[in-house]
Amino acid sequence: MSAPAPTRRIGDCRPDELLERLSHGRLWLDYGATSVRLKSDSRALCQHLSKVYAQFPLVEEAPWADHHVSITCVGGWRRLFRPQADFSCDFQHPFAPFAADTALPLFEWGSNWLIGQRLAHLLLLHAGVLERDGLALVLPAIPGSGKSTLTAALSLRGWRLLSDEFGAFCPDRMRFVAMLKPVALKNQSINVIRSFAPEAPLGPAFPKTRKGTVAHLAADRDAVDRRLDWVRPGDVVIPRWVADASLKLEPLAPHVLFGALAFNAFNYQDSGSRGFDAVSHLTTVCSGWQLTYSRLDDAISALDRLWHGVRDQHEAPSGLRRESV
Amino acid sequence: MRWPWLQALHQPEIISSWSLAQWEEAVRQTRRLRLLARLAESIADAGLLGALPEQAARLLQAERLTSAYRQRVVHWAATCIARTLGDLGAPLVLLKGSAYQAQRLPISAGRLPSDLDILVPRPALAKALADLKGEGWEEPELDQHDRRYYHEWSHEVPPMRHGSHPIELDLHHNILPPLGPVAIDMQTLLADCVPSNWAGWSVLSPCDQVLHSAAHLFFDSEPLERVRDLVDLDGLLRHHACVNEGFWPDLLLRAEQLRLIEPLLLACHFCSSWLDTPVPSSMHSRIRSAGLAHGLVRLLFSALLAPADLDRPRPIAQRVAAKLILWRYHLRRMPLRLLVPHLWHKWRAGHGGDVR
Repeated sequence: MSAPAPTRRIGDCRPDELLERLSHGRLWLDYGATSVRLKSDSRALCQHLSKVYAQFPLVEEAPWADHHVSITCVGGWRRLFRPQADFSCDFQHPFAPFAADTALPLFEWGSNWLIGQRLAHLLLLHAGVLERDGLALVLPAIPGSGKSTLTAALSLRGWRLLSDEFGAFCPDRMRFVAMLKPVALKNQSINVIRSFAPEAPLGPAFPKTRKGTVAHLAADRDAVDRRLDWVRPGDVVIPRWVADASLKLEPLAPHVLFGALAFNAFNYQDSGSRGFDAVSHLTTVCSGWQLTYSRLDDAISALDRLWHGVRDQHEAPSGLRRESV
Repeated sequence: MRWPWLQALHQPEIISSWSLAQWEEAVRQTRRLRLLARLAESIADAGLLGALPEQAARLLQAERLTSAYRQRVVHWAATCIARTLGDLGAPLVLLKGSAYQAQRLPISAGRLPSDLDILVPRPALAKALADLKGEGWEEPELDQHDRRYYHEWSHEVPPMRHGSHPIELDLHHNILPPLGPVAIDMQTLLADCVPSNWAGWSVLSPCDQVLHSAAHLFFDSEPLERVRDLVDLDGLLRHHACVNEGFWPDLLLRAEQLRLIEPLLLACHFCSSWLDTPVPSSMHSRIRSAGLAHGLVRLLFSALLAPADLDRPRPIAQRVAAKLILWRYHLRRMPLRLLVPHLWHKWRAGHGGDVR
């Protein structure tokens, strides 16, 4: 069941109205698996949010938010020559302030921190997750392997984005749910995506963050409107970008798959046997693949081809069940 | 009672009438005060988890899992350390949360430990430290001043970390700083230690556990909004009074002997007025006759301990009380000839580097 299509979206909101809402703490962002209420007096943040969260609904009053975040311009004399923005959540200030014009990376970083701390009921894989034909493609990877680039590229070629950073898997339902935040592209990936899809809705580039230059790719309308749908696991593909390499898609043994999912997750250890059972389930129902590539187009065609088989495989048992009823 | 979420710790049935907005408030306050899993356990004990709105149920479940995980981490670290310090030839004592866990006290359900506090007798401290370092526990990088501060004026060594234990280890040789307002003769406390359910570890006697917890809260430099400590004290008082009829007279006697009457009276006052902890009338009359200075300190702690309303600036009274309590702490902890150079060093260190 999808959320009803919103009447207004954040991108439709006039800047002064958005700033007014933000200053009163009346901006709600629902990522799917979790939600944030945001309060801020930062014009820079307001401007950047309206780009990278453009398709998110603009709600008058949400009855609930999991996290209540403030991004506040730091006052005092420092404001004059080195303006800064401070992240806080319910009186807690977990980080030192950032430069004021990088309030968006601060918000993204801080909300990721809250997600990693507080959602032990979900298994949070370090993985990009996309959906096609009702099945989730899981892309777990170590940093620097090109996971975000491939996730972003797939989301621009008809795959529905669920998440780039936190693959949110519910151990009770054994289904994925979206943790739909903008895809944070770093350094060379930004230009790779710009030339791959010149029309891609990319936010501004922030140089000199602690991860280098970062730019955010906004989620598209379909991904936003279907962010509350539960998705069955499909297959797991571990991507590895290697310069000039020819395309290779090789099967992985289940125990390798287990390690890649569990020991790369943010909170595998937190939930004890729940985490173990969830990863065991994934390694049972999903095949695992290692994808080596140098060109995004090749990787995407390979995954498109793979998905025909995945769809048939996952539909066969349920089709049989339907016939036998 | 001023906060429904605090009342719900003992009367979980009141949650059935909460609106979604009240739930949101309760989750936010208890989560930041590290009481959310505690609240969840009370609700679970009453069999009321099914009565929760879905939004709150998810977060309570998450926090219960996190609490269980943190407690596993503590237990595993303590198990390893008991092996490391096995031939120390001196008692090993668990303090605070880990002690409650090792005694399986009701209060330990849903606690969210961030560190492991242990104690060895002062004569065994150097060997314990060396053994722990040999096993991979590392002291933080400290400048000479901080190192001297810890080793000469403190009751613990600098917090240690270990590559395979995601927890901070605080190794104590006393429960209070030797130069503080009250110096504790640890021999007296060590003589009364009792065994725990964890192999190799003992814990302080029930009375000493209460007095340690009270002194830790009311002698501390930053007791801002530490309702969680009151919840611990409430749990200790209720449990020990329930299993031992002579508990209150013993407690009062011990407090006199250790000169910890002041924190005990404060603990009794706040526990009984905020958490309905059953406290004997003799304690109440002592609180009433404790004098003007005690009344003033009580007022300061009342402003300081009360959790501030969310989405508003902190109350001025709370900020002023925080400053006054900090000064009281410094003045009582160290003589001025030590305090002035210490604060000067801290101020310079704080302003020399980057922001915060």
